[in-house]
Amino acid sequence: MSNFRTLQSANKRKTFLLLAVMGALVWVVVFAALTYAGQSTAGIVPIAVGLALISVWGSYYASDSLVLRMTGARQIAESDNPKLFAVIHEVVIASGLPMPKVAVVEDSAPNAFATGRNPEHALIAFTTGLLDVMERDELQGVIAHELSHVANRDTLVSAVAATTAGAIAILSDFIMRMMWFGGRRDRESNSNPLLLVFSLLVLILAPIASVLLKSAISRKRESLADATAVQFTRNPTGLRKALEVLAADSTVVQQRSNAVAHIWIESPLDGGNISRLFATHPPIQERIETLRAMESLS
Amino acid sequence: MKTILVVVALLVLLTLIFIAQYNRLVRLNVSVDEAFAQIEVQLKRRADLIPNLVEVVKGYAAHEKDTFEKVVNARAKATTATTVADVAAADGAMTQALRGLLAVAEGYPDLKASANFLNLQDELSGTENKVSFARQFYNDNVRSLNTAVKTIPTSFFAPLAKVSAREFYEVEDPASRQAPTVKF
Repeated sequence: MSNFRTLQSANKRKTFLLLAVMGALVWVVVFAALTYAGQSTAGIVPIAVGLALISVWGSYYASDSLVLRMTGARQIAESDNPKLFAVIHEVVIASGLPMPKVAVVEDSAPNAFATGRNPEHALIAFTTGLLDVMERDELQGVIAHELSHVANRDTLVSAVAATTAGAIAILSDFIMRMMWFGGRRDRESNSNPLLLVFSLLVLILAPIASVLLKSAISRKRESLADATAVQFTRNPTGLRKALEVLAADSTVVQQRSNAVAHIWIESPLDGGNISRLFATHPPIQERIETLRAMESLS
Repeated sequence: MKTILVVVALLVLLTLIFIAQYNRLVRLNVSVDEAFAQIEVQLKRRADLIPNLVEVVKGYAAHEKDTFEKVVNARAKATTATTVADVAAADGAMTQALRGLLAVAEGYPDLKASANFLNLQDELSGTENKVSFARQFYNDNVRSLNTAVKTIPTSFFAPLAKVSAREFYEVEDPASRQAPTVKF
């Protein structure tokens, strides 16, 4: 039994769990840093968190305008593409969200994304390639998936994940550099060798672990958006067909920046040999299978 | 001293819980109202298309009086309905009457080919989609509200917030839930 409601709550629960693990990881890293470099370095903790906050939250707040620039998307009005807007209007009614801003990216690779700090500042964008190849019901599925990101506040979730991962990276980077350049441990530290080795390991592995957690959260949010899209349209077939079109198409969006890779409906990075663990999206075949299972329910 | 602090802390906590639950119920109730208003907006849009549609069809098939009458009657009934059940009944009647009208149009190739008619038909099926999504959104909201009203702990606060379970929007004719598909 996996209808969209059970899938939604499962994915929400998993996101919460992953974020909690990430939060715990921050404390472990702080503990390791203080053990390894001594209590006198405690001052760098707020600095690391502060740096991470500044770098992530500025881009979160201005995400709609920033992403427009980074992806080269151009905002369009209803008169530019009334047919697209008609489908968007329908899904907006189904979702109860305010009407988002709509943008188009000149790119022949079919893809789409959503961003914006809250539903009032939401922006959804489609590549010209996607608008060219999608049937109406497929387009509806894609729009529903993007509006699901808006409804589930995924820009916020990924900003929280990015901040935590950033703080961890900055913190362990600081400590490692300090040690490298001859920093020494405080005499007062109790220098239990086992604890020191453990701390060093934590400092080395934590940044990787946080990236893995961040990717896992991103994957859960994608699955959640697929499930929520089905709640909006009650038509898993449309989105499933759309994903099949995306899977069959081997062209990849001409990315200007890897920083925004995670926001697309189909990962633009999948071309390479990135391990599954680091992927920002679940494998597209798996998403298709989940939707197929939902089709057989109705 | 300590016990007083504990008691105060507990009271504050309970008040916060109460406020949160109370507000949640009120919010859910308001969103059901909003969702219902959305249905009415979309039904109104559909009703507004009818005079034009009838005119166009009349131009080609003036003798199909029965069908026109049904549509006009359904429209009149829809404007007076206010309760959920009444609106849903009027909606169902209208959907059926419109289907009859479109079926009549099938028999007149000239009509079917006219740009005016095609335009209206397009607009009608678009509105029909919106109506059915608005119904679905309303029912989703009723579902969340009713779940909250009937499950613990929110159920304790429902009488206080004067919120109770609401009625689902059910259109009689099951086929009418299937929105016509438009291709482009």
